[in-house]
Amino acid sequence: MTVRRGDTGSVILEGACTVEDAEPLLQLLQANPTPAVDWTTCSQLHTAVIQVILASGAQIGPCGDAWVRQWLAPELPQKGKPG
Amino acid sequence: MSALQEQFVTEARELVRQATEDLIALERDGASPERIDRVFRAFHTLKGSAGVVELPAMGIMLHAAEDLLAAVREGALAVDAEIVDTALGCLDQVSRWVNDFETAHALPVRAGEDGRAMAERLRALLPGRKGQQAGPAAQDSEAQGSGSLLPEWVARLVAAQRDAMVSGAPGRLFAATAICYEPLAGCFYTGDDPLQLMRQIPGLLAFHIEPREPFGPLAELDPYDCKLRLLAISAGDPHTIAAIFRLVPDQVRIITIPPGFLAAAAESPAHREQSLVRKVIEAQCELLRVPDRREDFAGCLGAAARAAANALRRGRLPHLADTIERAAALALAQRDAGPLLSALEQALADFADSPSTSGPDGGDRPIAAATGSSERPADRVLRVSEAKIENLVNLAGELVVARNALAYSARRVEQDFGGSEAARSVQRDRDAIDRLVSELHGTVLQLRMVPVAQLFGSFPRLIRDVARQLDKNVALVTRGETTEVDKTIMDRLFEPMVHLVRNALDHGVEDREQRRAAGKSEAATISIAASRVGDRLVVEVTDDGRGIDPAVVRRKASEQRLLPEEELSALTDEAVVDLVFAAGFSTASAVSDISGRGIGMDVVRSAIDQIGGRVSLQSQVGIGTTVRLDLPMTIAMSRIMVVEAAGQLFGIAMDAVSETVRVTPGEVSSIKSNDGFVLHDRVVPIISLAELMKLPGRRPDATAARLLVVMETAGRIAALEIDAIRDRLDVVLKPMQGLLAGARGYAGTTLLGNGQVLLVLDMKEILP
Repeated sequence: MTVRRGDTGSVILEGACTVEDAEPLLQLLQANPTPAVDWTTCSQLHTAVIQVILASGAQIGPCGDAWVRQWLAPELPQKGKPG
Repeated sequence: MSALQEQFVTEARELVRQATEDLIALERDGASPERIDRVFRAFHTLKGSAGVVELPAMGIMLHAAEDLLAAVREGALAVDAEIVDTALGCLDQVSRWVNDFETAHALPVRAGEDGRAMAERLRALLPGRKGQQAGPAAQDSEAQGSGSLLPEWVARLVAAQRDAMVSGAPGRLFAATAICYEPLAGCFYTGDDPLQLMRQIPGLLAFHIEPREPFGPLAELDPYDCKLRLLAISAGDPHTIAAIFRLVPDQVRIITIPPGFLAAAAESPAHREQSLVRKVIEAQCELLRVPDRREDFAGCLGAAARAAANALRRGRLPHLADTIERAAALALAQRDAGPLLSALEQALADFADSPSTSGPDGGDRPIAAATGSSERPADRVLRVSEAKIENLVNLAGELVVARNALAYSARRVEQDFGGSEAARSVQRDRDAIDRLVSELHGTVLQLRMVPVAQLFGSFPRLIRDVARQLDKNVALVTRGETTEVDKTIMDRLFEPMVHLVRNALDHGVEDREQRRAAGKSEAATISIAASRVGDRLVVEVTDDGRGIDPAVVRRKASEQRLLPEEELSALTDEAVVDLVFAAGFSTASAVSDISGRGIGMDVVRSAIDQIGGRVSLQSQVGIGTTVRLDLPMTIAMSRIMVVEAAGQLFGIAMDAVSETVRVTPGEVSSIKSNDGFVLHDRVVPIISLAELMKLPGRRPDATAARLLVVMETAGRIAALEIDAIRDRLDVVLKPMQGLLAGARGYAGTTLLGNGQVLLVLDMKEILP
């Protein structure tokens, strides 16, 4: 499992997030009225996971996936540093 | 055959049909860029699919055809008959190979040589061809050359990521490649990771990911429905990029951006346009600030407002333009430039805030919807195999039979328990099922309805080829292509139609000289029109040729001894013209390659008869001929009458029955051994069905009234004597099968409500 709820209520993505992680991620985000994702410790993101993050409009801090950090993150609204 | 191969066969046929149509239109109506483009795309797609199912011979040939069409598209080559001929020849070869591929799962052994030979023929038409420079690059770049051909999303992406591009680029002019990848909605299920493909793009300069349509509420998101569009610009080699996306060629567009475009993008088109709009508005403001231009105040104000509004519309800000126009009206009314001036100033301020000027970070807004419109529209048509539809039609047919069985049971209940609550309930349910089954059956039959355009589509090619062969100038006009008809009818209509069109071309249309001499235009017209008249389909094939001369037909018929002389001379001109449908009749003095072998029109009539249609012909000497086919819309359902003779039940098609009468012995007169009676001033022979079917029957009671079914078929009238009329039914006729397939006199069989098999008689064959 690479998707879990963090202490501060944000959803933490760790390691390589595969297509199977999209659904649990979505469920966690749906359960949270102010969704936030901590993706600093993930190493690789699947497109399905990216789509959920895009749709939720929530993410925090620099992405652990270097490619995503370079090409995708600049386009996304930042929500401050991870707590 | 794998699903992929099956799909290839279906698609290839469709593409060949479409390309043929467009090629002929190209030759006939001239070369419009869209049409050339369509032909080009058809060949391009064919080549692509040939590659997918690994048919290199087809690929080689189509590649050459594509080069030729590319030259046409670029204007380096004008379309002439030779190019069209060769391209059509290439399509013919594709058709043959597709047939081979379907039956043998492979191309013939000689395919390689044939393909190369055809490729040579195609290349020979290329203007000043130098060596073999048909670079494969052409296949990957859908748009090359000037930047104006680039889709809007490329410009957007370049503009939006200008900063990234400038830092990523070596600062010189260079070509780049733009990639637009729209993964299928279900791609996650098939294990695709679209981003993974994007990660492999070498020399990435810009990247953007966006939903194809705005995401709905998070609660309704389906995480496994891919709704994304991925855009990228790369400085990498287009071939490498194409190789990365080789498995999803249908979902990706790879476009070469010419050198210089990126440099120009530093001052992006959108940006340039915006600054122009701004300048125009500023100029109007200055103009309005000039005081004291009383005499032409209104004109000056109007001009300023118009200029500003037009500029804003051009800058895609119509709402601001509207505000300006409203302010101008107010200013005119008040004879004060103030309101307009402040509106213009407001517009300048708004303009600065509007999203289209927000620069590189405007990325979370979906890139212009124009991206979608440049793609092909989503095809909402479901492709279902004919066999499945056939199965469904059969099942619906069986259901109709079962409904008839229910009606039978309901009647028995009514007889035994008439008036009871149970009987009423059964009756009610029966009515409901009756209605539903009728509706269902109608809807299912509707599935088989196809527009006649599919049938008409083959005629432009036929007419073109035959007209060239005969050196005639013939234009085809088709009307009513959207009229729908049952697929079975359409399939059976094809051959008779080919005969009719060939006849019109060969016999109807005169030579060029004859037409000139007759004072007609050299170009003849053949029109094929379909229309719906009640529940019948009427197809008319009309030519404006020489018409059919009754005198000539009379002479030929007499020479060919079609009828005894006295009968022939008694015929009216109309009836004589109808003789062209007689077997063995031909007016052609010489047998040509096209028609005139004395077969044709009689084949047409019998083919149309078989599907329950009628053929008639109208002709005026010197003006032209119209052949009219009057056809049923569907042949799946027949209305029959169930009659009893000598204790056996038979079905008679209702369309043959004109009336049923009861005659008293006094009305019947006997001529030799035959009985007859007078109905509406005509003598109608009486034929006993029992005798006709050689059933052991009692002699009819000489004093009792006799029940007769009067039928008119094939121009004859007869009264069939029966013992009783049992029922009228809508049935699905099944043709005689197996051992009985050859039995004459039967139209088919159907199951009765009680499970009994009912033989339905073919009255045309049975009446003596």
